Amino acid sequence: MANEFKTTPLNGWHRQQGANMADFGGYDMPLWYETGVKKEHLAVLESAGIFDTTHMACVMVNGKDALKLLQLCHTRDLTGLDQGRCVYGAVLEDNGHVIDDAIVYKFNDTDYMVCVNAGMGGAIADHLNSNKKNLSVDIDDLTDRLGKMDIQGKNSAVILSQLIKDPEKVFDKMPYFSFKGHFDKSSSLSSEVRLKDGDIPVLLSRSGYTGEFGFEIFIDPQFIVKLWEDILKAGEKYNIMACGLGARDSLRAGAVLPLSHQDIGHWKFTNHPWMFALPFNEDQTGFTKDFIGKDALLDSKSAKFTFPFAGENLRKVMAGDDSQVIDKNGNTIGKVLTCATDMGISWYDGKILSVASPDLPEDFKAKGISCGFVLVDKKLDYGEKLTLQEGKRKIKVIVLSDIRPDRTARKKLSNFL
Amino acid sequence: MKEIDELNIPEDAKYTKDHEWAKIEGDTAVIGINDYAQDQLGEVVFVELPEIGDSFEKGDEFGTVESVKAVSEIYMPLSGEVIELNNALEDNPEFVNSDPYGDGWIIKVKPADVSEMDQLMDKTAYLAMLKG
Repeated sequence: MANEFKTTPLNGWHRQQGANMADFGGYDMPLWYETGVKKEHLAVLESAGIFDTTHMACVMVNGKDALKLLQLCHTRDLTGLDQGRCVYGAVLEDNGHVIDDAIVYKFNDTDYMVCVNAGMGGAIADHLNSNKKNLSVDIDDLTDRLGKMDIQGKNSAVILSQLIKDPEKVFDKMPYFSFKGHFDKSSSLSSEVRLKDGDIPVLLSRSGYTGEFGFEIFIDPQFIVKLWEDILKAGEKYNIMACGLGARDSLRAGAVLPLSHQDIGHWKFTNHPWMFALPFNEDQTGFTKDFIGKDALLDSKSAKFTFPFAGENLRKVMAGDDSQVIDKNGNTIGKVLTCATDMGISWYDGKILSVASPDLPEDFKAKGISCGFVLVDKKLDYGEKLTLQEGKRKIKVIVLSDIRPDRTARKKLSNFL
Repeated sequence: MKEIDELNIPEDAKYTKDHEWAKIEGDTAVIGINDYAQDQLGEVVFVELPEIGDSFEKGDEFGTVESVKAVSEIYMPLSGEVIELNNALEDNPEFVNSDPYGDGWIIKVKPADVSEMDQLMDKTAYLAMLKG
């Protein structure tokens, strides 16, 4: 199995730890370790977890017209983006469909990085190249030449502070979706964040894919196994856990974050919970810039709607083309895109509470709630009840604007030191 | 996932093509899912049980096993009436993973026809089926 797929430098570590491995985007990746998905999921909500995300791809976009090209190819209006900040958006086709979602990092006025999903570096680099025409831009796909791991959970900064130089300085003024440092030692930014051991430069980004406080770390791949092991050691007393893609999926579903090519894909990138990723003007009537896919998005014909939902309990249906979404009148209105179980939450007195919620009632027990997204033909109201069906199996769910409460991703960093 | 030669497939049970196991203990048949099934499913978070007194034909769906990753129906290895449920699975569904033939048993039935056991696979035949 391992031979058919690409591997990350941590593959040997995953296998040695008895991880349950599977193909993800062409890479042989861990779904979970012997600890199990539930404990991994809870570790991130209650302390910290680490994820191998080296399968993701980064594309460097450099040159005097870098901004022009990214303005054309990415859905966010990047004109106001400050150095050291990053933003989430998508790269679209002319018809408004999603090629991939992408976080754009701004190093300076001419140097940007685009971080995309596993196996997508080539497709995104090709798309940028085919649209650059006369623009003065260099595009460099770093696929398999850059290491990446995420540390997520409230103890992430405390654990990292044992391993990086000048942690007080690094963590000072580091809001959500900002970053410091650079993985390339020839960059002037690379002095900002260095590992104590070996003086290794890293790019440290206050972002992630769990909805919880934490960081994504970009590093030369030859140093990532050591960093991974050092973080596990430094986090031992906080019960840090290595987490697989299973926990990553259930955490992101509870945090209402989309999985590219599953929750966003070959349909128009609009009418979804991530409208902030589109460059709307103030009165929401149009866009502040021209970009590929714009005209298709402004034409509301044939646009479907994506809504988050939560189940009554942890029971799921299998998502996909065989699933059906049935409204209160018994009409089939769409399909299920994602259905995962967030094991850190439960319904309590008509509200969802999380293991990380403050002032939990004594008899609260996190039993898990299924959650995810539906793609439907019509606009739904929050609070509306639906039935999800797949084969003979049916579950009742409710349309909600948000799922797991009391998430930490956006809280001030100083709360976690 | 486990390799086939790493699976725990006891000699004293019989197996279905859908990876359930059945074992005769006195007048009753004990039923569960086997090591291959639990390994494929991953961590079990919920087992939906039938009711005591329900009768099923061999091959009927009698419950579901739900893991973090997937939902899987479970089918009767032989016809019979449900006489006991493993209620411990309500609080400890992970027994299905940790001890699929012991604490992780799912139901006990009164077989309608014990000779149906002969139609199930023994360890050798089951492993041969997995190897294809």
